[in-house]
Amino acid sequence: MAEKITINPVTRISGFMEIEAEVENNVVVDAKTKGLMFRGFEKMLMGRDPFDAVYFTQRICGICSTAHSVAATLALESSMNFVPSEQGRYLRDITHACEFLQNHLRHFYQYTLPDYVKLPENYPLFKTDHNDYRLPKETNDRMVEDYFTSLEFSRNAHQMLAILGGKAPHNHGVFIGGITSPVTVSKIIALTSLLDGIEQFINDRMIPDVYKIGEYYSEYYYMGKGYGNLLSYGCFDHYRELGTLYVDPLVYSNNIITPFHPEEISQANDFSWFNENDQPDFQKEKAYSWIKATRYNDLPFEVGPLARQWLSGEYRNGISAMDRTIARVLEAKKIVQIMKVLIGNLIPDVPMQEEYRVPDNAMGRGLLDTTRGALGHWLVIENKKIAFYQIITPSAWNLSTQTGDIKGTGEQAIMGAHVSSVDAPVEIGRIIRSFDPCVSCATHVFSEGKPGKVIRVV
Amino acid sequence: MVFYPKCKVGDKLETKNFQCPYQESKLHSTAKLVERANHEITNNQLKKVNLVWLELNGCAGNIISLLNGQNPDFQFLLTQMANLVYSNSLLAAEGTEAMDELFNAIGSDYILAVEGAVSRKDEGIYNLIGRHDGQLITGLDAVRQLGENAAHVIAVGACASHGGVSAARPNPTGCVGVYQVLQRKVIQLPGCPCHPDWFMGTLAYIMLYGEPPLDSRNRPLMFYSTTIHDRCPRRSYFDQGIFASKLGEKTCMFKMGCRGPVTQIDCPIRQWNGHVNWPVEDDSICIGCAQFGFPDAMEPFITFKSTRGE
Repeated sequence: MAEKITINPVTRISGFMEIEAEVENNVVVDAKTKGLMFRGFEKMLMGRDPFDAVYFTQRICGICSTAHSVAATLALESSMNFVPSEQGRYLRDITHACEFLQNHLRHFYQYTLPDYVKLPENYPLFKTDHNDYRLPKETNDRMVEDYFTSLEFSRNAHQMLAILGGKAPHNHGVFIGGITSPVTVSKIIALTSLLDGIEQFINDRMIPDVYKIGEYYSEYYYMGKGYGNLLSYGCFDHYRELGTLYVDPLVYSNNIITPFHPEEISQANDFSWFNENDQPDFQKEKAYSWIKATRYNDLPFEVGPLARQWLSGEYRNGISAMDRTIARVLEAKKIVQIMKVLIGNLIPDVPMQEEYRVPDNAMGRGLLDTTRGALGHWLVIENKKIAFYQIITPSAWNLSTQTGDIKGTGEQAIMGAHVSSVDAPVEIGRIIRSFDPCVSCATHVFSEGKPGKVIRVV
Repeated sequence: MVFYPKCKVGDKLETKNFQCPYQESKLHSTAKLVERANHEITNNQLKKVNLVWLELNGCAGNIISLLNGQNPDFQFLLTQMANLVYSNSLLAAEGTEAMDELFNAIGSDYILAVEGAVSRKDEGIYNLIGRHDGQLITGLDAVRQLGENAAHVIAVGACASHGGVSAARPNPTGCVGVYQVLQRKVIQLPGCPCHPDWFMGTLAYIMLYGEPPLDSRNRPLMFYSTTIHDRCPRRSYFDQGIFASKLGEKTCMFKMGCRGPVTQIDCPIRQWNGHVNWPVEDDSICIGCAQFGFPDAMEPFITFKSTRGE
């Protein structure tokens, strides 16, 4: 007889989510991941000035706003047939990389660590009802210390972002052409100095911490695999002189790596709360989430640090909840190395900005990999205004809903998991958090009066 | 330390008593308030407050901004100033236990901080924040229950203050500010996001003296008294009529859509992320994120038309 588990809220993620699972003999036999917030950004963007999208779309997400500013900028640049200077690109990518560091540090220490490390219970924030904490006291104490110490370094990552982007979250630097303000020697020195501190913390604390967790919770190397389909739109790739510093647009499925083709992306809403006209419909039968079902070649895919580390060949230990968490930590180190290369290639005091014109009528798209994985913005400009905007976020891949009998990526990862206690199913939260879910991002997909499929722009 | 020379500690200050806003904001800087609160907590003159951080329909960017706090930082808030009872982004517990923690706050003495807008359309179904006793809880339910029982309610950020971007036209989910669903005063900290100092300073002030002096729209005067334009380092360019035609220039960006003239906030003197930079210093326009009406009333955020004479 199956028992039903409902976890709501799934805390320590961005946004609101429920997981519903059925468990038989302590094994998950059915799972649903449900995005429970909706704002309708695509509808809000209709009729606005195209350039405003750079600032407006950042408000989709407080933890990954820079990613949206970059995707919107790329979409605008493509609609204008504008190619930024390499210096502009370096600066924009360094700004984006700062956000990777902020995210990875916070996701590992503030969002993931409380799953495995017993935090001091005299603070109400840290009370839990399960007792599956396995680290020896000394190790546990050190990680509690690192939980707090990490705050300085994630804050410093945002400070670096603000040095180039004015403020964070929701920066003002990223724009068509690169960033707004030319970099100065003193800014380069400040960035280098802050980056050194972050690098030291990653090497000395973060990497040893994640491997130590893997040692004591080793069954998570065998849990949460899911389909094992991996995808990246490319990340810090195709620089004119520097080539690819991280990973090209690639797809991994059935043990084969192939080039990524954007036209293979599709979205379905069979099980999401949208009717046939793409209008919100909370009464829709069978529907259970505001998140649609994003597919590539009609298959669900995983995006994010593990996908990138796997596709670039840097990490091939396995695909599991623990591997996902380790890949994220190792990626933080990789990002530091990429930033050092980009900073080393900066030329101070080079202006990047021009007087831009909004095209009368145009289409554009911006695809890139960001902290949580593949992010795409698509837009249509008519009479100098936004006539259509579509956003597909990393969590729209990882938390996608069912199509037919095919579960979404995160749902499949939970299937088959061993759950010790249905009253405190700590395993499920650990698996889903390994994806770093961001529901704020994933659930606003909405496009009035247009077919619910991705527009295709060459 | 002198706070308000003309008043006793605890007195409410009227707007007319304010002299130079610049001086006032310096005098009441967040660090000094927090230092004093901490001093009194250490000497057992003041108790840590219970703080409930409720996320509603928004981007969770205000809790991220709070984590960026520096002198005081988040660890200090958590360990020295407040018992943080609930935060969807940070709570170790999940599911039923998490919701119990949230609603068990009712009955205790607590301050409610809200980020995100309240979605009112269709009874609030567009923002479900958890399940309590098996029932789905909307953001609207939660803010009503917790808001009515709190000692103080603080709306943190643009969405909680007045709907913000979540309520941008055509406002698909009927979002409004927290004050529109509560029959009580809500201290407003608009900004997208809210600067960690604005929140920490307000919290410390409440702990020391009670409600801070507020303007007619319930914003603390210590942060929101003066427009960006009045303290802008590029003001002389405006006065002389020297205007930028593109981003990256060092002159006044008024003609490109800078909303500094209508935005009352202390960004030019406070700056962001450890006080290293702010949008105008970064050669970019102010988009008025700390002013009521953001974003719709501030659009277009940026334009190149007026400088071209189109």
